Amino acid sequence: MTTTLILGKRLSFKHIVPFLSGGLAFLVGGIILYAAGVDPLEAYALLIKGSLGTTRAIADTLVKTISLLITGLAVAVAFKCKLWNIGAEGQLYMGALGGLLVGIAVVGMIPVVSVIFVLIAGIAFGAMFSLVPAVLKVKLGVSEIIVTVLLNFVALLFISYLLHGPIKAPGFLPYSPDIFPESELPILVEHTRLHAGLIIAALAAIFVHFLWKSKIGFELKSVGMNISAARYAGMNITKSILITMAISGGLAGLTGAVLLAGVQHRLIEGISPGYGFIAVIIALLGRENALGVCLVAFFFAVLLAGSESMYRTLGIPVAFAQTLQALVLVFVLIGEVFTRIHLPKRIKRVDEAKLENLGKQVGAPAERGKVE
Amino acid sequence: MSDAGSPPLSNSNVDHPAYTSSSPSNPKPSQPFSAGTQDDQPVLSMNGITCRFNEVIANNDVYFDLFRGEIHGLLGENGAGKTTLMSVLYGLYKPEAGEIFVKGKRVDVKSPLDAISLGIAMVHQHFLLTPSHTVTENIIVGLKSPGRSIFLNTAEAEKRILELSRKYGLKIDPKAIVGDLSVGEQQRVEIIKALYRDIDILILDEPTSMLTPVEEKALFSTLSAMVKAGLSIIFITHKLKEVIEASTRVTVLRGGKVIGTVMTAQTTETELAKLMIGRSLTQSLAQSQEEIQAGIQKSPSERASAGLANVLELKNVFALNNSGVQALKDLSLTVSKGEIVGIAGVDGNGQSELAEIVSGLRKIQSGQVFIDGRNIVGMSPKQIRQWGLAYIPEDRLNTGLILEYSIAENLILDRWYTRPYSGKIFLNKHEMKRFAEEIVSNFDVRTPSLDIQVRYLSGGNLQKIVLGRELSREHKLLIAHNPTRGLDVGAAEYVRKQLFKQRDSGVGVLLLSLDLDEILLVSDRIAVIYAGRVMGVFDRTTADVEKIGPLMGGYVVDANA
Repeated sequence: MTTTLILGKRLSFKHIVPFLSGGLAFLVGGIILYAAGVDPLEAYALLIKGSLGTTRAIADTLVKTISLLITGLAVAVAFKCKLWNIGAEGQLYMGALGGLLVGIAVVGMIPVVSVIFVLIAGIAFGAMFSLVPAVLKVKLGVSEIIVTVLLNFVALLFISYLLHGPIKAPGFLPYSPDIFPESELPILVEHTRLHAGLIIAALAAIFVHFLWKSKIGFELKSVGMNISAARYAGMNITKSILITMAISGGLAGLTGAVLLAGVQHRLIEGISPGYGFIAVIIALLGRENALGVCLVAFFFAVLLAGSESMYRTLGIPVAFAQTLQALVLVFVLIGEVFTRIHLPKRIKRVDEAKLENLGKQVGAPAERGKVE
Repeated sequence: MSDAGSPPLSNSNVDHPAYTSSSPSNPKPSQPFSAGTQDDQPVLSMNGITCRFNEVIANNDVYFDLFRGEIHGLLGENGAGKTTLMSVLYGLYKPEAGEIFVKGKRVDVKSPLDAISLGIAMVHQHFLLTPSHTVTENIIVGLKSPGRSIFLNTAEAEKRILELSRKYGLKIDPKAIVGDLSVGEQQRVEIIKALYRDIDILILDEPTSMLTPVEEKALFSTLSAMVKAGLSIIFITHKLKEVIEASTRVTVLRGGKVIGTVMTAQTTETELAKLMIGRSLTQSLAQSQEEIQAGIQKSPSERASAGLANVLELKNVFALNNSGVQALKDLSLTVSKGEIVGIAGVDGNGQSELAEIVSGLRKIQSGQVFIDGRNIVGMSPKQIRQWGLAYIPEDRLNTGLILEYSIAENLILDRWYTRPYSGKIFLNKHEMKRFAEEIVSNFDVRTPSLDIQVRYLSGGNLQKIVLGRELSREHKLLIAHNPTRGLDVGAAEYVRKQLFKQRDSGVGVLLLSLDLDEILLVSDRIAVIYAGRVMGVFDRTTADVEKIGPLMGGYVVDANA
């Protein structure tokens, strides 16, 4: 949401709006806290301290950032191509399953390489699972929104079934066996939980950033923006939709594998507390581009981590983090509508004035209003 | 409601003694209406209506009147301003100038609600019905239910619908779900919906465009029953045959102006065609042809010697349209090198499908298509383009360009995968920019910057971007589909000159245009298309409106005529 600003381009009112929106969200959140009998300033101070106050806190925040970032990228890639993949959560679980199958197999014992296999398996499982809605869309024209939403339940229930039966480890709880230590992601900072997934996430962000500068990315984006123009220009629509969904699902699956290899080291039912759903908000707020998603993912991780310490100290329910997330989303969206409705008029006027200054003919601004 | 009004023709001053002119000096069509009138005051008159959209004048000082008990045909080509005029009457557009009188009283129609309360209803070309509701629900929507019950009283309404249905021969089941009905039946629902509101004036916008011949007949007999009962009907169409068959009087619009109003009984299709298309056409076109040709070096004989081989050949092509209806029936056609072949025809007679077949965007049912000797059936659009096709699509806003993209991005839409525009993996930003600068200067694209989204550019400049991209390809065949539609005169001329240049460089050009003037002006040969068939092919020297007009309407020319 702030990329243009950071890239040093012209600063304008348009770029300030998201920050004003965020501020308003915290203001309203403060009112809610106050109404609940908590001092908002104290609560927000705890939020910052709990997420960024100590090395440990920062590490925890970064661990959350990893998952939010990769899933956010997954959704952003699909959204950029106008494919509404709401199934990142399900794809994440399937990716975790893929990682697990490698991590508990013999191949999971080979040092160094095994963790890469785990991640690749995660990507593959997530991608294959996301191809279900993609194929249905391409072959039968079924809306990918509905299919991806519903497949979340399929994935979660399927994993749940596996954990209660076929891959259940001995014991009472529905846990899978642990993966081999060779398949685990190494810890980056000692005495914290920060694992090498951070590097993976950074690589994923770089991948997505450069994807849009590549040939294939141009094709995917063009197909998403305007199918009929892309087809006319000779682009392959079916291939593009399949690839877009595979990249999206692959990234979501990668998140699952990273969670498995970096945090849990085994598959459990709640391996993701809904990262795949928060990812939708992150992708939207991040304006579907890599840098934006990085910033928003970190911001949301701060909210999540901080709210835990708010709970521990002040007894504010963890759900307050969700309230804040929702408030931020609502206000940013309102701000977006505001910029879209009120600012374009001004922008257009400026453009036309420019045209006239150039002493060149100004035509009708495209043929939008159709006659006859 | 399809095209953005074509630029007003420069030579529209038709002066034919048989028709009442509607220039301001003689504003009201003075021809008295006699057939079956009880009163000589018109139920509706529109005086001096002017309506403009940005730069395009859709209606220019238009006078129109309607008497009780008549079917008044409103005839004109696409973009002539028919629908705009009726939308003004229906309160959808606000005119810049002009007055509307209903039953002698000056009225101000601000919205369709106003129009309905004045007794005016309009049946749009595309129906405005809720498919999942029943016929009755669709008809009574927006009206107050009689009685105090909080529930809908549909029984009463159904009774009335059946009454209306019997009275005017509009067979319909009030309980049927609209989505299950055929197009003809849905139209009946729309008409009953209008009648249910006790109207005096009914506007039908291209009512036959989606009907089968049988449904068309039924519609016409309904219309005559309605006028007998005292209603007045305005019938918008561009089909000559229908006007002759259904109307009592015809007003012809061209380029936003009224060309004349005439009693149907006293005219013929040929005469109407002349009015609709423009009488002094041939002469003035020859002139502009010369003007345009003046800038071009090659002589016709040089072209003829170059133009031997067929660059495009279609053999017995059959194809369906998007709704699964036969769009091309046994169509055969050739275009040779260095030749412009114009396809004349009324919109929707297979032009779009023809262009899509040749460019590989549409599946062919049977037949063969050769581009420069190679059968392209089954090849992908990309392969066909690589083999040598340049294609200016019909819809430059939604097909030719991606409006969210910059000029540079739009210019590589068809070649993003090739050198020098991209390397192994990444696009080459430098080369894209250089290419954009080149095209912008070569094709005189006027833009404040190269990075601006093309949505902010005018129609003419957008078309120049499409031209720039397509003409900079290696190509043997150029398809130009409505290349000048919606462009101002200057931009249109620029585009036509480009077509000549293409021809003279040996490219075969297939020009599909709804603008017959343009076809006659630009083409070396003209093929007339009707209902997916080629009705006849003419050399430009032997082609004229008299020959082409009837063929466009599906009439085979009498050999003796």
